[in-house]
Amino acid sequence: MSYYCKKCNKYWNYPVENCVFCGERTYEVISTKNYVTGYTKVHVPSAGNEKVPYYIYLLEDENGIKSFKKSYEKYETGDEISPIKEINDKVKVGIVGTGLMGSQIAEHLILCRYETILKTREEKNEKMIFSRIEKNISKGLSETEVSQYLRYLSTTTDYSDFSDCDVVIDATTENLEVKREVFKILSNTCRDTTILATNSSSISIDYISIDTPKPENCIGMHFFNPVRKMDLVEIVVGEKTSKRTKDVIIKFAKDLGKIPIMVKSSPGFIVNRLLLPQINEAAKLLEEGVASKEDIDLATKLGLNHPMGPFELADFIGIDICVSILEVLSKELKNVTIKPVDILYEMVNEGKLGYKTKEGFYKY
Amino acid sequence: MFITGIGRTKFGNLDKSLPELAYEAIVNAIHDSEQNIKDIDAIYVSNFLCGPLNGQLHLNSVISSLIPDLNIPILRIETACASSSVAFNQAINCGKFSNIMIVGVEKMTGPLLTSPIDAISMAGDREFDHREGLIFPASYAIIAQQYMGKYDIDHSVLEDVSYLNHKNSRLNPFAHFFHKEVSRELIKKSPMIADPLNLFDCSPLSDGSVAIVLSRESHSDRDIRILASQMSTDSISLTNRKNLTSFRSTKIASKNAYNEAKIKPSDVDILEVHDCFTISELIALEDLGICGTGKACELIKSGAIEIDGSIPVNTDGGLKANGHPIGATGLAQIYEIVTQLRLEAGKRQVDSPKIGMAQNIGGVGGTCGITILGV
Repeated sequence: MSYYCKKCNKYWNYPVENCVFCGERTYEVISTKNYVTGYTKVHVPSAGNEKVPYYIYLLEDENGIKSFKKSYEKYETGDEISPIKEINDKVKVGIVGTGLMGSQIAEHLILCRYETILKTREEKNEKMIFSRIEKNISKGLSETEVSQYLRYLSTTTDYSDFSDCDVVIDATTENLEVKREVFKILSNTCRDTTILATNSSSISIDYISIDTPKPENCIGMHFFNPVRKMDLVEIVVGEKTSKRTKDVIIKFAKDLGKIPIMVKSSPGFIVNRLLLPQINEAAKLLEEGVASKEDIDLATKLGLNHPMGPFELADFIGIDICVSILEVLSKELKNVTIKPVDILYEMVNEGKLGYKTKEGFYKY
Repeated sequence: MFITGIGRTKFGNLDKSLPELAYEAIVNAIHDSEQNIKDIDAIYVSNFLCGPLNGQLHLNSVISSLIPDLNIPILRIETACASSSVAFNQAINCGKFSNIMIVGVEKMTGPLLTSPIDAISMAGDREFDHREGLIFPASYAIIAQQYMGKYDIDHSVLEDVSYLNHKNSRLNPFAHFFHKEVSRELIKKSPMIADPLNLFDCSPLSDGSVAIVLSRESHSDRDIRILASQMSTDSISLTNRKNLTSFRSTKIASKNAYNEAKIKPSDVDILEVHDCFTISELIALEDLGICGTGKACELIKSGAIEIDGSIPVNTDGGLKANGHPIGATGLAQIYEIVTQLRLEAGKRQVDSPKIGMAQNIGGVGGTCGITILGV
């Protein structure tokens, strides 16, 4: 962006209407070609630039107007870079499910400039989902930027629109039957090479991929809530997952600015297997009247140095989700001590599901 | 006007808080001067980042707490890394007061509100350049890359600048790196920050404070005469500049200062330049007219800028090795020139200098303050 006063031969970076010297109207100078005239490769992270190294290019357009541009790609002096933000054309991503995780993953993807297609069940939802994502990404961005990012997003109700996706992430409800069905349909509509990933937090990828002809293309990719803030992605490797699938998804996760860790398909993987028994045990402590919920949360935060206590976290996750993960864990691990305690079932029955229903262990 | 007293703290990673640092410098400056603290009519306090780093603003009142019951006018000046030369300039331009103190202070280590790299980046353009990842070292890296390409030089001259500054700092007990032996090997092999600048091309994060007492009259034969003080500004973003291997603000402020002092560049006996990154020392030598455009490399390689050379530069170790407590840096340069002109610099004393100059810049040349002093 540059504004110019012809009479005074002055340039501004800001959208000024009139020249301060002569008072005449300024012109917006549109650049169509930008050439690299200098660069540096930055090796130290800073706020908003956590992923290093990255390049900063000094660009000059046909009018001699300079600008800077950040990129992870290597260009040489003299190369032309399009002034429209470069499209990340390497990977096209599909997402099934528009719940909390599905839309958060979509948000993160478009902010990382990935072409993203989001599938919802009903056509009437599409507009609502679009405006929700628009609202969520708009904080700290200008209107122009928001619309630029939104160009990466499309919605559909039809699985056949996933046919040219490189990766499809399933973010449907935590239910084996649903996920099996999704994978079955996807394996029919997508290319042979499309990687089918699931954001499942506890169900084995080996079960989910059971009806697909190519289980080697299937993998778990477990993001954490809130997706944009939480750096971890659990990459869940099934018995048949191929090396290529693994490599592509590790690189993909890193390109999203995440830190992938590898875990064999097993109940609850790492995070939930450690976390949910703790939440259950905390609920047990509460049931037994050993301590108040506030003190149990405080003890966990101050004594274990966790940022949130088990009840705060359970409310944030959703009590119903906690119960369903605990059921899977106790069944799969054949461990009765991690069967959900009664108080959790009572809360689910009373509709006290946590933050999302305004009441769980705490009121919101 | 005269400089009648100077005082400073050691620079480095210090235990003292911001007020404690300022107090130490104030006490040292007053004790160095013939005047009493009660003679001071006003104080200009210079600081860059007390808001984002230390969570403290209203710094003039903090300084007032250090001199109980005086209730004199105190004002904070902020122009990024050039804050203290500009505070000095404003003190001189304020015709009302007879005796003025300038205090520069910065606390950059210890518990901080914002990470220093993010805070320092506030000296650059937030609207456009920040979002493209242009942290502060990256701006100077772009300048270095342009300079090295334009004059076909390699990184070794930057290593020379770093080495010389570290060598000088070993003679300055107040310097951040006084105790550190720095070899050419260490400089060469240090980790990359932003190509082509490595760690030893960058000045450190330092705590420190410097205070200077000014008076309209001379009170002792140790007083140093102010021959010129000028400031100039330029756009905050490099994208608005035609030439990236020179700072117009330095050129304009120094030209005006030479005129005010009625001297020419070759009359300067001792020089302090703003080497926040090694490349800026080269650019300063050229912009100040000490050497021709593109000739800084030659000048440095000739040995002219060493303590026994024809134009000694950064005898205290410069920002690189004396340290860069941002709000105190410009005053530290003035402190060094006063010390040298008084012939009180001990082991690093330059042979009878008569005229000294300091160049202090803010951001990537968005502000420049030039001071010329004489005996």
